[in-house]
Amino acid sequence: MPFSSLSRLFRPALPMFAENKRYFKSLDQFQPVEEYEFVVFDTELTGLHERQDEIVSIGAVRIKRLQILAGETFYAQVKPEKPLPKNSTLVHRITPQQLETAPPLAEVLPSFIDYCGKALLVGHFVDLDSAFLNRACRRLFGSPLHNPCVDTLRLAQIHMERFGAPYRNKIDAGPSYNLTELSRQYGLPSFVPHDALQDALQTAYLFLFLIKKFQGEGYRTLREIFRAGHGARWAL
Amino acid sequence: MRASPQNIHAVTPEIVLEFLAHTLPFNELDTDTLRNLANSCLIDFFPKGTVIFRQGQTQVRYFHLIQKGGVKIYLKDEDGTVTLKDFRGEGEYFGALPIIQGTNVANLNVETVEDTFCFLFPREAFLSLIQSCPKVTHYFLRSLSEKLVKTAYAQLRQHKIAPRTENALFLFSAQVGDIVRGAPRAIAGSDSVRMAAARMVELHIGSLLVHDQEKKIVGIITDRDLRTKVVAAGLDYQTPVSRIMATPLKTIPSHKVCFDAMLQMMRLSIHHLAVEQQGTITGVITTHDIMILQGTSPLFLFREIVAQRTIEGLYPLARKIPAVIRTLIEEGAKANNITRMITVLNDHLLDRLLTLLVAELGPPPLPFCWLVMGSEGRREQTFITDQDNALLYAEPESEAQGELAAAYFKILGEKAIDHLIGCGYPPCPGEIMASNPKWRQPVSGWRGYFDHWLRNPEPLEVMHSAIFFDFRAGYGDATLAENLRQYLVRNVPQQEIFLLHLAQNALEARPPLSFFHNLIVEKDGEHKNSLDLKKKGIAPFVDFARLFALKHGIPENNTLGRLQILHEDGHLSRELYSETVKAYEFLMQLRLVHQLRMIEQQHPPDNHLNPADLSELEKQTLKEAFEVVRRLQSHIRQEYRLGEG
Repeated sequence: MPFSSLSRLFRPALPMFAENKRYFKSLDQFQPVEEYEFVVFDTELTGLHERQDEIVSIGAVRIKRLQILAGETFYAQVKPEKPLPKNSTLVHRITPQQLETAPPLAEVLPSFIDYCGKALLVGHFVDLDSAFLNRACRRLFGSPLHNPCVDTLRLAQIHMERFGAPYRNKIDAGPSYNLTELSRQYGLPSFVPHDALQDALQTAYLFLFLIKKFQGEGYRTLREIFRAGHGARWAL
Repeated sequence: MRASPQNIHAVTPEIVLEFLAHTLPFNELDTDTLRNLANSCLIDFFPKGTVIFRQGQTQVRYFHLIQKGGVKIYLKDEDGTVTLKDFRGEGEYFGALPIIQGTNVANLNVETVEDTFCFLFPREAFLSLIQSCPKVTHYFLRSLSEKLVKTAYAQLRQHKIAPRTENALFLFSAQVGDIVRGAPRAIAGSDSVRMAAARMVELHIGSLLVHDQEKKIVGIITDRDLRTKVVAAGLDYQTPVSRIMATPLKTIPSHKVCFDAMLQMMRLSIHHLAVEQQGTITGVITTHDIMILQGTSPLFLFREIVAQRTIEGLYPLARKIPAVIRTLIEEGAKANNITRMITVLNDHLLDRLLTLLVAELGPPPLPFCWLVMGSEGRREQTFITDQDNALLYAEPESEAQGELAAAYFKILGEKAIDHLIGCGYPPCPGEIMASNPKWRQPVSGWRGYFDHWLRNPEPLEVMHSAIFFDFRAGYGDATLAENLRQYLVRNVPQQEIFLLHLAQNALEARPPLSFFHNLIVEKDGEHKNSLDLKKKGIAPFVDFARLFALKHGIPENNTLGRLQILHEDGHLSRELYSETVKAYEFLMQLRLVHQLRMIEQQHPPDNHLNPADLSELEKQTLKEAFEVVRRLQSHIRQEYRLGEG
């Protein structure tokens, strides 16, 4: 691994990164889903450009034995390095004043990484959030996160491919994979969108819903669930 | 937890908080309690058709609150017949009962009828909520319905009392020697049947033993013998008894139990057996005696008491009161009715005893009133409790009359106390009895005592005098007692300092609840791990009711009666009144059952209860009752501006 040792010269990686990497490399993918611990997370961003936009808040909830631990949530606002663009405030309603006193990402990220621990990460369209996270991790700690990620959007697609769209959606033109829309279609309790913690919870509900529906159809392990779709893309 | 650096970003999920804040009974909780509860919450999803609880199988580890969706609750019997009990939807719950009752096993089947999200609260969190928030406790006890409370009483009735075999417990435990009444009465064999009949009438008995010239008992003659062998046969009334007596005498050893005596009489078709102890005849036992022993109806006992012609004959009747009470408890009578029944029986017994005693001593020189005090005065006796009595008599008109009265009432008092002890009422350790000259006083003497307590109150004296304020007439001229009561009703309300001492006294017994609402038991000594139900549980209610009854000039003695009048007169809010009555009745019930159990295990009854012997529900209700004590005491503190002592 010459690349990672090289980057370590510039910025020492947290020992946890290396440990997690070893841990997840040998992760047994054939356990029933309820055996894994998951952290469902969401980030709010200044925009969608990976190279220029920044994280302004992170929300996350923990799932053990396929139950959401309401008392173990994570929420932090982050002070961006560049001034907050006005149009992003319109989306997530976080104002520049609110972020004035927030800590920078360099301070927030370690506690979030610590919070994630050995859990598998879950997000809705998780590629976007993890891209931002990993870019920041590489920059600040010299290593990306090694926790495997599960995408609820992908789960929903697989579910619809296998078992059809939810009844509520059948009269619509086509399925929508937007988090709020999916939750509405599946009849889940609804949360305020565009708040990192609320979105994380909404995603966690969707995740529980889909996983248990898969279980009801006889798919017991994560691997089986992803096999149900065609791709087995579940690690970064 | 929030202080640790790893968790600075922990926040309580609004979703749970908000849901709880809009759901009964959690909306009653303060923010901190709500937050703690929300933090212990797990959110679970059950697809439609999931059986969450399986009756008799599933371990219930969580209280389930439905966030979205719905469940059906049903019972399945052995034949597989399903009885639908209920549908529960959003904001409703299931799983509370097994947790509260402490069985922790599902009592019903719960199956989702829609995709259902639930908030799960761990058993411990739910229990501690119930323990710390009376409002939540009430909600669940109430909404789990009357049925559950009835279950608590049913548990008290059934589980705590050993099943009785064929209503015959006493038949198998009482020895014939115990129920023999008085010394054997005998007549010489040479005496005439006419003399025998006259003697039986005189003694109010149905049989006589017959002795020979050496005074050796050789036979028995009964009133039936007189009917069948003498009158019906036209025999001369001068016939000697020895000609018609039953001989040889049938005897039974005094250590045999009554059941054996009954069997023997049935086998021989006779109604009388002589009881023999080491070769000596000590008395006669009859089928009637056995019947009395079996009879457990209060009315039956009542008639027996009223019909008694000898004081000694009352002794065994008094000991039968527990058996009667047991029947009442089994039939589901509430504590208040039971103590009233005990009081009625005791009152009749006392009335009979003193009537017979006065007949024996001759008419009293002055009208008098036998005062009963303490629990007896309040009509709240449980099983045999210590005597608390005194004697009040009319004011003598001369010194000579005073001396005469003192002498007469001395004998009356002392004899009465001895007989009461004979009936099984233990003497008062503090000598508050009519046998003590200090407590045999004319009207002026008693007024003097009360004036002294009221005007020069010393904390210790106030404490000791409290039971005197619960006096009532037990026997004799009741107007004497009523006049004394009126005197107090007029005078006590002005005695601020006395009432203040009484108030302080009422705060002495602290509710045995720890900060975290666990029951505190004695740490060591004779009553280790137990809790004094009388001192910690009953007394605070009694003290509270007495204090405010005296303060407001209410002549009533009974605690529930006092509380009712206090409520009606607007001194006690409806809510506190109803809580107080419920709590007090539960404590009395608990005490009665505890004491009955002790009596049946051949222990003297006491008030020391081990909470470990109680079911979770009983423990819960007990804690709730102590919570009421806490409220009553803070009511007193407010009224008298007394701080936490």
